[in-house]
Amino acid sequence: MRGNRLARLLLLAGALMAAPLAQAADAVKIGILWPLTGNAAAAGQAAKAAAEVAQDIVNNAHPELKGIPLADTAGLPNMGGAKLELVFVDHQGNPSLAQQLALRLITQDKVHVLFGAYQSSCSFTSTAVAERYGIPFVIGDSAASNLTGRGFKWLFRVTPIATDFAEAYMRFFDDMKKQGKSIRSIAIVNENTDYGTSVGDAIEAAAKKNNMPVAIRIPYSASSSDVSAQVLQLRDKQPDVVIFISYTSDSILYMRTMRNLDYVPPMVLGDDSGFSDPSFIPAVGDIAQGVMNRSSWDIGKPGSTTYKINEMYKAKTGRDLDDTSARNLQGMLALADALNRAGSTEPEKIQKALRETDLKPEQIMMGYRGVKYDETGQNVLASTYLIQLKGKQYEPVWPEKAATTPIQWPMQTAKH
Amino acid sequence: MRNASRAAFGWLALAAGAIVYPLVLPGAFYIDVGTTLLLAAATAAAWNIIGGYAGQVSVGHAMFFGAGAYLPLLVYKLWQWPPIAGLPFGIVVSLVLAVLVGMPTFRLQGHYFSMATIAVAELIRLVVATAEPLGAAIGLQGPAVGRGVWDLTFRSGLPYYYLFLALLAMVLATSWWLQRSRLGFYLRSLRASERAARSLGVPVRRCKLLALMLSAAFTSAAGSLYAVKTGFVDPESGLGILVSVQMIIVAALGGAGTLFGPVLGALILIPLQTLTNTYFGGEGSGLTYILYGGAILLIARFEPGGLLDLVYRARGLFAKPAPSSEQSRHAA
Repeated sequence: MRGNRLARLLLLAGALMAAPLAQAADAVKIGILWPLTGNAAAAGQAAKAAAEVAQDIVNNAHPELKGIPLADTAGLPNMGGAKLELVFVDHQGNPSLAQQLALRLITQDKVHVLFGAYQSSCSFTSTAVAERYGIPFVIGDSAASNLTGRGFKWLFRVTPIATDFAEAYMRFFDDMKKQGKSIRSIAIVNENTDYGTSVGDAIEAAAKKNNMPVAIRIPYSASSSDVSAQVLQLRDKQPDVVIFISYTSDSILYMRTMRNLDYVPPMVLGDDSGFSDPSFIPAVGDIAQGVMNRSSWDIGKPGSTTYKINEMYKAKTGRDLDDTSARNLQGMLALADALNRAGSTEPEKIQKALRETDLKPEQIMMGYRGVKYDETGQNVLASTYLIQLKGKQYEPVWPEKAATTPIQWPMQTAKH
Repeated sequence: MRNASRAAFGWLALAAGAIVYPLVLPGAFYIDVGTTLLLAAATAAAWNIIGGYAGQVSVGHAMFFGAGAYLPLLVYKLWQWPPIAGLPFGIVVSLVLAVLVGMPTFRLQGHYFSMATIAVAELIRLVVATAEPLGAAIGLQGPAVGRGVWDLTFRSGLPYYYLFLALLAMVLATSWWLQRSRLGFYLRSLRASERAARSLGVPVRRCKLLALMLSAAFTSAAGSLYAVKTGFVDPESGLGILVSVQMIIVAALGGAGTLFGPVLGALILIPLQTLTNTYFGGEGSGLTYILYGGAILLIARFEPGGLLDLVYRARGLFAKPAPSSEQSRHAA
């Protein structure tokens, strides 16, 4: 009896000692730089929640998420079930602070990988630190095209960039022409800071390459309180498609002004941002019926993997997953896949695994054609869906295989 | 005499502390925080020459900082020169700016001068943000991986630390010289009352312009070192109004118009910023700003003359006669 109890005690002690041993696989630390306060705080906070959903998917068993790598197991199987540990820092949108925090994450927190950094300015400075220290840096969402192409060996970007969007638009126009729609010329209207300028430039360059005449390009300030002059310029040129690269209040202002001046082109194509803002549809949904927009993210039908991921995010934040946060979530998942294949936290092995990344469309949650990096670290398979406003929401209409409803061209409210 | 030697001893101790700091706390992050502190102290001390001693509160110093920050990256972009070679060009541009801005705006006094400097700085920011050769809204970047030592892209933060320390030492030495020079007395007199100073024969506008040029040159040099270290500048980080505001806050917090004030301000503000961001930043609760703002509010409410006033008052309890501030000591 006594011996029995002793044996049991020993067993218990052994079990207690073994428990930590079983989890001895050290966590993989990912340092994440985002603007959690300041101008872009809302985007940073939403992305933070998305990163935590990615962490949940990898760290816990989620067999219900079909196709997503590492969802059905807990932790990283090749590393003895190691968990992802996220260290968030707030760079406040300040490039110098981002540089300092990247240093802190590498030297103090000893993170194995860096992830971030939303504003391109902050990505510029923090990736340079990672490059000097030889730590992999995965960019979830910063679109400036010259981030890659600086000869960096430790930089990987999952998200599509301005040139990808521009090319997608051109492929879309080609498809439309094949269907007999008339697209003789396009117009580009862009807000005049970093975002609008770089996307506008990319579209103009792609149009030139594809022999698509650009009738007019109109840069403007997003804080303008009157855009009638710009709309009158558009009416004068009569383009078949007007592409807006705009923030929230200005995209709403454009829709209202076009309506008031009784001119709406055959098709309005919004470049995400303002057109995707939650306040856009309630404000001008009725006069913007048929407006097109881009998004790499689509919630999908109930029961689908994307729908379930959205439910996880919704449970956390009370909102649907937006395009930007979804791209970050995808970035984290693609990174986790590489970490698992690396099977080690050594920077060189992680770098090698990232280089060898080859995710198929069915393994990802976004509308990309996959994840595969070129020698500059850019995902060459990144792409986007085009969506169209029908009723109270956007529906995917292009490419055809993702479409849930036929495209309507010209848009319902067109008047020219 | 005893006072002077005590001050000299204090400065010596501070200098020694600054020199050994990175060797005592050798983590790259601590060195970077130290460098940030030195940068804040140097820009605030440079601002102090015109804003403190002469009492002309410029809220547009970002234009000099920005000129200093843009030129190195511009010479790199245009001719692939090592960025640091742009430093003298930055100073030249800043001096020209100082004259162009100073000539008309020094006719204005008090708030009007501050408003005019804000307007000019914002105008420059907007122009740069749309100027394609200056990288427009996207900004300019330096060599991410150095091609040689002269590119000053060090993995270790030590060289930057000592570069910034040298700059701060130069600004402080100049301020120290200024304090006891004729120009320094003229500046303080015109701060007290411009009309009285003029009636006593002080060449008011020339003095102000000289002080602004001196201030601009040092601010620009600090901007150049910043750009060399950061390897990136965009309109917001180089020319944004927050750049100007930080110089003022740091100087005013420590004590504007005193030699040690800007250093003290930086010694308090930068660690406070770093600590709050380290411990509360990751949650994204905004607590960083609340603590930071709260500290500034408390000082503005209870010590509007800057923390240095508090030091002198405390010292006054033990020594007689009690000097209430550094400048009264010099005037005496």
